[in-house]
Amino acid sequence: MTARNGASPPASGAPGRRLPRPGRITPVRISSFTAVSALGRGRDAHVDALRERRSGLRPNDFTGTPLGTWIGRVDGLEEQVLPGRLAEWECRNNRLAWLTLQADSFIEAALQARDRHGPGRIAVIVGTSTSSIGASEEAYRRLTPEGLYPEDLRRPIVHTPHSLGDFVQHALGLAGICVTVATACSSSAKVFAQAERLLRTGLADAAIVGGVDTLCGSVLFGFNSLELVSAEPCRPFDVERKGISLGEAGGFALLEREALAGPWLLGYGESSDAHHMSSPHPEGLGARLALEDALARAGLEPARVDYVNLHGTASARNDEVEARLLADLFPARTRASSTKGWTGHTLGAAGIVEAVLTLLALREGLAPGTLNSRRLDEACGPQIRLENEPAAIRYALSQSFGFGGSNCVLAFGGELPA
Amino acid sequence: MNPPVRSAFVDGISFWAPRLPGWELARQVLRGETTAPAEPARRPAPALLPPTERRRAPDTVAVSLEVAARACEAAGLDPATTASVFASTHGDLAISDYMCDTLVSTPTLTSPIRFHNSVHNAAAGYWTIATACYAPYTALSAHTSTFGEGLLESLVQAVTDGWPLLYVAYDIEAKGPMATMAPSAGLLGAGLVISPRASAHSRLRLDWRVVDGASHPPTVASPGTLALVQGNAMAPCLPLFEALATGRGEVSLALGPGLALGVEIVALECRG
Amino acid sequence: MVATHTSEERELAEMIIAALNLEDVSPEDIDPEAPLFGDGLGLDSIDALEIAMEIAKRYGVQIRAEDEENRRIFSSLRSLSAHIQQHR
Repeated sequence: MTARNGASPPASGAPGRRLPRPGRITPVRISSFTAVSALGRGRDAHVDALRERRSGLRPNDFTGTPLGTWIGRVDGLEEQVLPGRLAEWECRNNRLAWLTLQADSFIEAALQARDRHGPGRIAVIVGTSTSSIGASEEAYRRLTPEGLYPEDLRRPIVHTPHSLGDFVQHALGLAGICVTVATACSSSAKVFAQAERLLRTGLADAAIVGGVDTLCGSVLFGFNSLELVSAEPCRPFDVERKGISLGEAGGFALLEREALAGPWLLGYGESSDAHHMSSPHPEGLGARLALEDALARAGLEPARVDYVNLHGTASARNDEVEARLLADLFPARTRASSTKGWTGHTLGAAGIVEAVLTLLALREGLAPGTLNSRRLDEACGPQIRLENEPAAIRYALSQSFGFGGSNCVLAFGGELPA
Repeated sequence: MNPPVRSAFVDGISFWAPRLPGWELARQVLRGETTAPAEPARRPAPALLPPTERRRAPDTVAVSLEVAARACEAAGLDPATTASVFASTHGDLAISDYMCDTLVSTPTLTSPIRFHNSVHNAAAGYWTIATACYAPYTALSAHTSTFGEGLLESLVQAVTDGWPLLYVAYDIEAKGPMATMAPSAGLLGAGLVISPRASAHSRLRLDWRVVDGASHPPTVASPGTLALVQGNAMAPCLPLFEALATGRGEVSLALGPGLALGVEIVALECRG
Repeated sequence: MVATHTSEERELAEMIIAALNLEDVSPEDIDPEAPLFGDGLGLDSIDALEIAMEIAKRYGVQIRAEDEENRRIFSSLRSLSAHIQQHR
């Protein structure tokens, strides 16, 4: 059974490309960044786990109804308490957002930026897939006899997708542009693009970007219904991969044009697959367009890319298409890997978590390999590595592809390309 | 300090609600030239979709594809090369109700079709499948400021990329217990094609700037217009469409607690 | 020539039409021996998953639709119905 392609391919010319390639953008500094995932809280926890090749995945202990799969669960979320002034936003997703703001003192950096630029001049652009739907799920479990939400969950803001953006804005006392992007698994990659455009047009002086997604019944049983979840820890690009492991995570980055230190956002590329709601384009056409646009905005050739953090979910179709694309476009010296064996697929948070891991790879001179995988699919070229390798990484990409055929590729640099 | 005023052009307008099914009719009703039909129209059929996607299309997809297609038609724009911004306050409330309800009783019997339609970007995904569009889209929400933030992102993309862009805003009817916390009634879809430059298709000029929210409270639509889309969560779009209907006027659209998007609709002297 | 349905096959055909919202298809249009997937009815892999879920719900029979070994079961209305009857 193959998914039918609802769309016809373009008739002639470069496949799919009908708008001209974008020009270079002015790079933007990333003055602070952090993440919290099943690997732990903050940058060091992530570097240590990468170096020690320690996976954050564990057998599913999250769902009431048994589901035989492995998950990337963040420890201690149940004990987190939001400050009283933020009680209205209380839910698992916003607790993880709060925990993530504390990591690496990100909140201090954000508040200092607020003092420098003013609360109205800092945009909040954050991504999520399901936001705090977990709170709505809980309300349905605990409906009153009249069929109403229990009193403690009668808080409209946690039952709408913007729960996350609204929480981050209030937690930081900001008053600027504030948007929650929800394009499934590309959400918290696309936030970098949206924020860059706001900075470029002068509508903000700085932007808090990032994303948070937490485990919930909707995604665990939803992906289970698509037969996409693996009964074992996910093995990206492995010839015997059995599907994805779901995870939860949060991450933030502070983008400031005027900052004096920090790595650079060099470019971004966004595209659509025009193919199917839940299967990637068989030739990776949309992914390729996003990749080409990211390189064009960064002013980079594929040969200058040292490391690519792949989407690599360990689903049969994604990994095959993505591996062929890599083999097609990059020289053998470019290293590439999926880090989902460490974190699981964190869906709407995958963009920011993998952006953070990519920035850490730049900073540490460490090209992560691909955890849990043993034998690579024959579609893989020499770029995709299983083992970690020390490497001088100057320029790196992070790829995120989502349901609905939404693709985003980000280009980062420890220095500016000539 | 006054923030700079920037200009964009409105090349296509579309609108769909059960009592205002289509922009031509809506325009006449909002201008007071005619009255809205008493009988609500049936949900538009997403005729653009291939059969496989069409039979799976939920209301969010039906209403947003209708206004997306009409806006592009009006602007003489090829959807296949057009980037888009899709904005919805709550996304697919009917599927959210189904998911939450099923998770209580039989989580392992969750419908894969409904799950893959549950993503906030389902409407945008179906649109790009229907039109063979490889150009980027985004899908966003900002609670009660969703319409304003989505329009702002559309204007920003038009400025930075230099190409006409499709903006689609929609919300659907809430179902089940969810309706008490995320209220929304009926269907409402609104579409605009926004261009950074005037063209033969340009109908109106749209001058915009981001202003302080406290001194620019959101414009409220007339009671008559509000009554026609009773309680839909995308109702904050109405003041702009009233101005578009008359071809002039200033409106303020909320951008969260601190800011507003100030928009002035200006008639073009000579229409192509 | 379309072979006639057994009563179980007809019930299954009705279930598939309702679950997939098949436009303008009646149970008689589904040839019990013709391929279910591919060009005929225009069904794809997500439809197979939806059918598998509906079968689990109605008959209590679990079939993994994405499993290569289950291709034969999903090959026609007749084979799918026979599998359900054997395992319910």
